[in-house]
Amino acid sequence: MFLQSQLSWNVIIPPESLDSNGLALQKAIIIRLMDDFAAKKATKDLGYFLAVTTLDKIGEGKIRERTGDVLFPVEFSCITFKIFKGEVLEGVVHKILKHGVFLRCGPMDKIYLSHQKMPDYRYVPGENPIFISETSKIEKDVTVRFMVIGEQYVEAEADFRAVVGLNGDFLGPV
Amino acid sequence: MSGEEEENAAELKIGDEFLKAKCLMNCEVSLILEHKYEQLQQMSEDPMNQMSQVFEKSLQYVKRFSRYKNPDSVRQVREILSRYQLAEFELCVLGNLCPETVEEAIAMVPSIKNRGRALDDDAIEKMLNDLSLVKKFE
Repeated sequence: MFLQSQLSWNVIIPPESLDSNGLALQKAIIIRLMDDFAAKKATKDLGYFLAVTTLDKIGEGKIRERTGDVLFPVEFSCITFKIFKGEVLEGVVHKILKHGVFLRCGPMDKIYLSHQKMPDYRYVPGENPIFISETSKIEKDVTVRFMVIGEQYVEAEADFRAVVGLNGDFLGPV
Repeated sequence: MSGEEEENAAELKIGDEFLKAKCLMNCEVSLILEHKYEQLQQMSEDPMNQMSQVFEKSLQYVKRFSRYKNPDSVRQVREILSRYQLAEFELCVLGNLCPETVEEAIAMVPSIKNRGRALDDDAIEKMLNDLSLVKKFE
C-alpha cells in the first residue's frame, strides 16, 4: 500500500553552502533533504521512501561544534510504500523457477509465490517455463493478483521480501 | 512483523500509525510521481540519474496499475468511495483492484463485512456501479 507520511528529519548543511540569501539556503536544504531521502531507500517501520511531496517546516539551525556544519530540523510530507500481511495486491511475474515464481510490486521485486501456495498450478519446464492450471497460466510479464502471507525486512540491503499465495477466491493471473 | 498482535490487513489489523495514515491509490500515486518526474526533468538534464531506484520502479508500477488515468476521474473515485465509511486502507484496496462483483469486493477486503458497519450487499453493489460509471465515461 502506498501511504502519505509526515516525517521530521535533521538536515546537515556544510558551512560553505550557507548563504545570507534565504532563498539559496532554502534551496540547499531542499536539495540535501532530497538526496538524503533518496539514499535512505527504506526502513523496517516505514517501508520504502518514494518521493518528498512537500517541505512543511524548516526549524532553527543549530551549529555543530568542530565542523561548523549547521543542522536544520525539517518537517516534510512524503510517499512511502509498505506491504502488509493479509493485503491483496497485483504484481508482475519477472522470474519463473521450478519451485515458484518471483513477482514485482511497487518498489519491491523479491515477492515469492511458492508452488506450494498455488496448489492448482503445475510447473511446465522449457526455454520459457510456465505454471499452468486447468483454466489459466502464469508466465513471464503476466499480472498476478495475490495475498501477502508474510514479509521480512533485510537490514543489510534496506529491502523487503515477501511470501505470497493464491489461496482464496478471485486470486491468480488477471 | 509486530509482536503484540498478529498483523492482518484482511481484518484491518495493521499498526495504528498506518491505520490513521492517509493511504494513496495507485492512480493518485501515478499523478504525483509523474508530476515529480516532470519537475526533475526541468531541473536537471539527466532526470533518470536524479531518481532513486525506488522512485523509478514505483513509477513504472503505478503507470501499469492505475485504473483511472485522468485527474478528474481519480478525484471522483475517491469521492465516491469516501461516502461509504471505509477505512483509508479499504478505500484504496477497492480503488486499486476495482472488483466487479460484491463477492469479489468482499474477497478483496473481508473487513468491510465485519466491522459492524451498515455496509450491506446493496450498498456495495451501488458503490461498484458508481465506480464502473466513472471508468466508462473516462
